[in-house]
Amino acid sequence: MEKIKQNAIVKKIGFNRVVLMCVLILLYLLFALIAPMVKENANFVSFARILSLLKYAYFMGFLSLGVTFVIATGGIDFSIGPVMFCGALISGYLLTSKGWPLILCLVLCILVGTAFGVLNGVLVSYAGLPSFITSMASMMLAKGIGSVFTKTQSVNWPQADEPGGWFRNLIGVKIGATEIPTGLVLLLLASVICAVILNKTMAGRYILCIGSNREAVRLSGVNTKRWETLAYIICGTLAGMAAIFYVAKNTTVLPGLGDTFNNEAIAGCVMGGTSMTGGVASIGGTLIGVLIIALLQEGIMAMGFQINYQYIITGLIVLTVVYADLRSRNKRN
Amino acid sequence: MTEKKKGNAFTENPLVRAIGVQKIVVVFVLIAMLIIFSAASSAFRQYSTLLSVMDCTYYLALLGIGVTFCLITGGVDLSIGTGMFCYALVGGFLITQKDMPVIVGILATVFCGLLVGTINGLIVSRGGHAPFLATLCTMMIVRGMGAIITGNASVTWPSSSSPIGWTRRIFKMDIGGMKVPIGFLWVLILAVVMSIFLNKTRPGRYIIAIGSNKEATRLSGVNVATYQTLAYVISGIFTGLAALAYSSAFQSMIPGGGGGIELNAIGGAIIGGTSMSGGSGTISGTIIGVFLMSILQTGLPMIGLQANWQQIIIGLVLIVAVYIDVLKNKKLV
Amino acid sequence: MGDVILTMKGIDKSFPGVHALDHVDLEVRKGEVHALMGENGAGKSTLMKVLTGIYSKDSGTITYEGREVEFTNPREAQDAGIVIVHQELNMMGHLTVAQNIFIGREIMKGKLIDDKKMNEEAGKLFEQLGIDIDPKETMSRLTVGKQQMCEIAKAISHEAKVIIFDEPSAALTEAEIEELFKIIRDLRDKQLGIVYISHRMDEIKVITDRVTVMRDGGYVGTLITKDSTKDDIINMMVGRVIYEDPKTESAVPEDAPVVLKVEHLNAGRMVRDVSFELRKGEILGFSGLMGAGRTETARALFGADPKESGDVYVNGTKVEIKTPQDAVKCGIGYLSEDRKRYGIVVAKTIAENSTMASLENFMKGAFIDKKKENQAAQEYVDALKTKTPGVDQLVVNLSGGNQQKVVIAKWLVRNCDILIFDEPTRGIDVGAKSEIYQLMNELVAQGKSIIMISSEMTEILRMSDRIVVMCEGRKTGELDIAEATQERIMHAATLRD
Repeated sequence: MEKIKQNAIVKKIGFNRVVLMCVLILLYLLFALIAPMVKENANFVSFARILSLLKYAYFMGFLSLGVTFVIATGGIDFSIGPVMFCGALISGYLLTSKGWPLILCLVLCILVGTAFGVLNGVLVSYAGLPSFITSMASMMLAKGIGSVFTKTQSVNWPQADEPGGWFRNLIGVKIGATEIPTGLVLLLLASVICAVILNKTMAGRYILCIGSNREAVRLSGVNTKRWETLAYIICGTLAGMAAIFYVAKNTTVLPGLGDTFNNEAIAGCVMGGTSMTGGVASIGGTLIGVLIIALLQEGIMAMGFQINYQYIITGLIVLTVVYADLRSRNKRN
Repeated sequence: MTEKKKGNAFTENPLVRAIGVQKIVVVFVLIAMLIIFSAASSAFRQYSTLLSVMDCTYYLALLGIGVTFCLITGGVDLSIGTGMFCYALVGGFLITQKDMPVIVGILATVFCGLLVGTINGLIVSRGGHAPFLATLCTMMIVRGMGAIITGNASVTWPSSSSPIGWTRRIFKMDIGGMKVPIGFLWVLILAVVMSIFLNKTRPGRYIIAIGSNKEATRLSGVNVATYQTLAYVISGIFTGLAALAYSSAFQSMIPGGGGGIELNAIGGAIIGGTSMSGGSGTISGTIIGVFLMSILQTGLPMIGLQANWQQIIIGLVLIVAVYIDVLKNKKLV
Repeated sequence: MGDVILTMKGIDKSFPGVHALDHVDLEVRKGEVHALMGENGAGKSTLMKVLTGIYSKDSGTITYEGREVEFTNPREAQDAGIVIVHQELNMMGHLTVAQNIFIGREIMKGKLIDDKKMNEEAGKLFEQLGIDIDPKETMSRLTVGKQQMCEIAKAISHEAKVIIFDEPSAALTEAEIEELFKIIRDLRDKQLGIVYISHRMDEIKVITDRVTVMRDGGYVGTLITKDSTKDDIINMMVGRVIYEDPKTESAVPEDAPVVLKVEHLNAGRMVRDVSFELRKGEILGFSGLMGAGRTETARALFGADPKESGDVYVNGTKVEIKTPQDAVKCGIGYLSEDRKRYGIVVAKTIAENSTMASLENFMKGAFIDKKKENQAAQEYVDALKTKTPGVDQLVVNLSGGNQQKVVIAKWLVRNCDILIFDEPTRGIDVGAKSEIYQLMNELVAQGKSIIMISSEMTEILRMSDRIVVMCEGRKTGELDIAEATQERIMHAATLRD
């Protein structure tokens, strides 16, 4: 075991991420093995399955990447799922009912997310409210605003062959019969950018340090409130982007929903090794965590089980992973 | 802390202090709201409105009483909204689908609450999880469980016309053709009992002490973990009772529903003067607070603001209430 | 004075690396107030913790009421009748006074708590003590002094036979101290044994019957208070130890410019009208006993805590310092006494900590220039002789002394000219200590100026060019190193107005 841990490549990637990667692969094999047994004709090993899995991972990934920044500061954001829906509803409504140009709608979608990020950030860092209750309140706001805007109607984003439907190419371009998962490229690109922000810029440095020891950072003459707010803004903006990937996968957006995605996004994040107590975060880990969540959802669906099992499993995962993190922290101190 | 807090004549009045400034203010807000709603809407002045306000108050008050105990320990229980739906589903499922006696259904409902409450308590007090995260995970788990047990079908408790529909009359008696909201009496009795429990028994005293200063309480020889767990158990049981109130008043319960209701209850408790940071809170304040929430919920549609507006307004109310709480605590230190 | 109630004999206690108690004796009689005195770190608190079972002793005997005892936790000691009234209050602010006094042993009437009876009982206690506190009042609404009285009432309600007061007067006003003394005299007259820990010489003279003095974890001696003078006690406290090369005269030239001037600084009750000047190339020592307000002064000056009033001039220009950001912009750096909480981010690397205050200088466009950052960190690792395999080591893996060097490096990388060192050698071993001293001398030689807060007399006398002495939030003395002696400093540090 120690030998593996000391291996240069393993060290570079991080031992936890290697383990996580193995979990991902094993889980895939497990589903490939079990799915046909549980349900007839459940063909798990196929390109279509992987595509479907990835499409779930795209928007989930953006949500998870965003919330990684907030959790890194030691906070939490429960509003991302509804914020994603709010963005999709508002811009979708303007696109389909008001005939706004697509590109404007997509930008607006992202801006809605940013706006909620600013709101959360200011309330948490400047007004000093606890992050969980603040973000739950803004979850209510997001749900309410989304459905007020559309007058409680659902919004149907155009199909790929309809006018204004080219945004669907963001997640997959059909060349002949095969579909190229362009979304994967974009998600990876976003991950790289997030990783760079987190590890190579001043913002990332201070966000991580605030999560570790806020007071020491403040006493170093750093404007901690500003950097903390920025984490929430990044999170909101990425939730806005997630909305684009959500509507590119699913056509219909219903008002008043979205909170289940919070939990899955947070689960992906903590699985990837981001600590709920702040200060430690890994974008690569989050990405693998999200893939595991997406795989779970795909596997559960493939076996013909209800989505409800997914909720239970996600809940258990978070409890277990966070407990393990708490234990290892206590041991070290 | 060094100077005796100098309040004005009003806040130092013994009677005002005995009741609590915030509660008095809230009562005035409540009266103002009643006047505004009555003036703006003739429908609001109907007797039937009072009945629907009451229907809403029952389950919110029961949830609120329970969660007040968690808040006083400095924690929170986010599983109550979803939990209430889940337990009502289980109970109703046993009665309508499995033909169990009604009393068994009722006991099952409350027992589910007790069980989940105990789990929450143990995870928080023994496992050391942050209360919001632990109860969020159990929220997801019960959400899935409820749907799985009922086979993803919605459940309606027997209607009042049914021979076994007596549960409907627990909270709303039919006296000479007039519906009397008798449930208020039951809620009031429970509130008084729990108020005595909180203020006049050792467990109640220790729950307050833990929220005020956990370490000092431990040093006084009190088994902190036990009483912390107890707070969550109480919250669970009252969620079970709220499930009964809900299922007796409303038509059907959808699996996976109930999310967001916890915020109405928590918001009500905070409006009533219970502090998010623990140590202080009253049952009477919670009752007043949730009553305000119920009036909002019932009154807003009558002045033309539909459910979606409610979410926005409740979100804002929550932010304001928590902010006031934060300011109060700053002054105290 | 009556019979002996408590005897501690030959108490010895070691912690890894520290011999905290070296065969200490203490004898308390019924009906006496016995002062326990000594400088910070002399071992008074440790001795009391051994007595009440928080620490276990390595050797020695404790005899209480004629029997040899060994308590394993404070609760056992309490049940036997030995109670501590802590300096830091252990109370539940949201509960009432009576509820606090009876926490954990409420008076019951059937299944319910009998609050009325508890109020009555608490009222009786207060009457007995002759103090006016409403048992029904919420604890957090009382003044600190009254809260202290409640703690005493709680102690008495345990039917205590020995009460230990751990610096009870630190937070009290004049009138409250009078009240406290009256209570203590009453308790003494009721034949209780009282141990009174305090730094205040005049209090000791007024209230106590005997004084036991400790120094560096050892027992120095016991005096009858009324037969001894203040100087006798001070002499016993400071001892006759010859300190390593104390500074004899200031190294600062006569015409050195004033780099920092603080006028009439006020911040809460711990910083009251403090004024001082710091000159270029000077080490200004801040001496005083625990709770004298030195750290509070530094934090208010640095903008870490809000201040009420006062003017600060840096290099002759008036500056507004409201946040640490402002202070850092003025070239002030602060090394906290509590390194782990306020100084370093332990879960991050040396390089990351070193550039914490000056990250904007290590940017290449939008990105952190890791190479430049590592170079700078390495430069200071070399200059300060920080012992580490590399700058990418996590700070948590370093020893205390090396962690301190990382904090110093942080301010040097920022190129701060005014450095506030708050207890710079606390928790650092002897070797690293002299390295830090050497470093400080090098820094002032380079033209930097240092404010050094220290509770160690040796350190003050060895390093300072000038010494400011504080007591209870006020500046009570300012001495040039040439005229400074331990006795004079101690005198000023116990000077109450």
